[in-house]
Amino acid sequence: MTDFNEIKETLVNLDEQRLIELVNEALEKDIPPGDILNKGLIAGMDIVGEKMENEDMFIPEVLMAAKAMSKGVEILKPLLSDKETQTRGSVIIGTVKGDLHDIGKNLVAMMMESAGLTVHNLGVDIAPEEFVRMIKEKNAGILCLSALLTTTMPMMKQTIDAVVESGLRDQVKIMVGGAPVTQAFADDIGADAFASDAGSAAKSAKALVA
Amino acid sequence: MNLMGLQDGQYRPLSPEQIETVHEASLKILEKTGITYEQGLEDTVQLLEDNGAAIDRDKKNIKFSKDMIAEQVARAPEKVVLCGQNPKNDLHLTENRVHLGTGGAAIKILDPKTGKVRSTTLKDLYDVSRLVDQLDNIHFLVRPCIATDIDKADYDINMFYACLAASSKHVMAGVNDEQGLHNVIEMASMIAGGPDKLAEKPFISVITSFAISPLKLCTQSTHIMQEANRNRIPVALSSAPMAGSTSPLTMAGTLAQLHAEQLAGITICQLTRPGAPLLYGGIPGMANLKTMGYSGGAVECGMMNASIHQLSNHIKVPNYNSAGLSDSKVPDAQAGYEKAFTVLLASMGGANYIHHSAGMLESMLTIAHEQFVIDDEIIGNACKVLKGIDIDAEHLALEVIDSVGPGGNFMTSPHTMAHMRKEYYNGNGVTDRKSREKWEQDGSLDIRQRALAMAKKLLAGPKPSHIPEEIDKEIKEKFNILL
Repeated sequence: MTDFNEIKETLVNLDEQRLIELVNEALEKDIPPGDILNKGLIAGMDIVGEKMENEDMFIPEVLMAAKAMSKGVEILKPLLSDKETQTRGSVIIGTVKGDLHDIGKNLVAMMMESAGLTVHNLGVDIAPEEFVRMIKEKNAGILCLSALLTTTMPMMKQTIDAVVESGLRDQVKIMVGGAPVTQAFADDIGADAFASDAGSAAKSAKALVA
Repeated sequence: MNLMGLQDGQYRPLSPEQIETVHEASLKILEKTGITYEQGLEDTVQLLEDNGAAIDRDKKNIKFSKDMIAEQVARAPEKVVLCGQNPKNDLHLTENRVHLGTGGAAIKILDPKTGKVRSTTLKDLYDVSRLVDQLDNIHFLVRPCIATDIDKADYDINMFYACLAASSKHVMAGVNDEQGLHNVIEMASMIAGGPDKLAEKPFISVITSFAISPLKLCTQSTHIMQEANRNRIPVALSSAPMAGSTSPLTMAGTLAQLHAEQLAGITICQLTRPGAPLLYGGIPGMANLKTMGYSGGAVECGMMNASIHQLSNHIKVPNYNSAGLSDSKVPDAQAGYEKAFTVLLASMGGANYIHHSAGMLESMLTIAHEQFVIDDEIIGNACKVLKGIDIDAEHLALEVIDSVGPGGNFMTSPHTMAHMRKEYYNGNGVTDRKSREKWEQDGSLDIRQRALAMAKKLLAGPKPSHIPEEIDKEIKEKFNILL
């Protein structure tokens, strides 16, 4: 197996059982685990992400793909070298204080994980100080803020202001998203990027840490 | 033509047996699965435990017996009267009496001058509230947009102030916190002539989104809900799961979960204050499975919102629900048919207080002046359907048929004169029924242009404040009014 098309296709077709078989077969053929991960699984999830962005796939199908992918990663993880397990970047993600919505935010976290980033999902109703503390603790390169309510959008700005005050602003790229959030709002509050859906959020995060 | 509060019940998506099946399923959810709660609700949980609920504090789980639910739900009033500052706008919510009005908390507006989308301001809220005040088929005012240009601390009081100044129809909105609620009650009491008079004729009410679907109590909103109960202010128990994400994908499962959430919410209110006036607030919605956004314009929203009224009617509590949303971004043909479908279905289902029915675009994110005018027309048409066809001697007109005789015409008959303004819905003026020639002479205007011109005219008229001058002065001394 010199190309990874079958793994990619199987992932896109959501066939978890077959995917596990293919990963094991590839290992038996001495294909390097790092290649299986990057050229097979992550490349497959890139296709899923694109399909999601183009609305060619239902979100529940995307979730199934991510679940299948993580089963594959479980097999590969013990076999990867330290260098290979070093991920593309560390991400802090959470819904801002006062806001309890988490479905979209969790989707973004999942797509970023599937894209090979290490994601620390803090949950909902997260205060600015807590975001700052976690950026330090996890030495994060990306901060993702989510808000669904029009009344909690201003908390995104307050969180960014807190990051600026803490002196960590140069260390992290800040992304914002959520139903009412727009590119103009992101520009206004001094965020580095805005994404309108989970697929493009993962793509944009990868670009930011590239 | 007064088309408010008509009785209906022509569209019945659920059979009596199916209503019973869903109701039983909901009771089972409350008995077996139970509901959960956020931090900070210890007092509410204690209240429920003292009255028979089974509490597991480690798992944060509350289970309700059938008997407990039945006992508490029976205390909720069968009829709730939501008043207007002007009594002609009073709404008698009960049985299958239908009322439609605005709703939502949009943050964007299609600017009436440029047509471009921009953020909403307090002035926008005031302007659209004035439109609602003057459009006859819109029966009540739920604040349709939020002011993005003011501080959160000034938010609640200014929202209600703008609505009450601009319109004498019933005003409903959510509040951010208990302090906001107290301020709003204090201001409304000043207008009413004291808290007792406000409770007697409540011209304001509060939306309390007490449930985070699925089956979780929100601390802040539950506190606001109970505090409104204690102050005798009517509440709408909003919970709005989306089929496929925060409730089962299927319509039946969504209805069962939503009805369970409502039964739990009503129980909390009635334990807080027996007889507390409230509206069953189940709003069944759908997730767009390609984006996980809200599919407001889906025809199934109309079907489910008719069904949820059947469930509220089953427990004899008047209901608040939703119809008239569209996923379109502009007032186009899609907006027209999506709105017409769901408004007609929810109305024909007999729902009592249907919000979101005027002005909205892009699901709940955007409003437009012209859309309020167009939706007023859609609501008028829907309510006309509820009126039905009168069959009696006067309307059968046998004598008239006999006197005109075969081969004559009815154009100048006194019977025609007597009925021509009442028998048909005559429209608010936005619908075009001219000849093409006349239409071209008048500038070949499409519906959006005509509606915008009408809105402009309505807003150019006098601006009487509905708050008496003396009281207005006192309110402005007491609160930071930014309008």
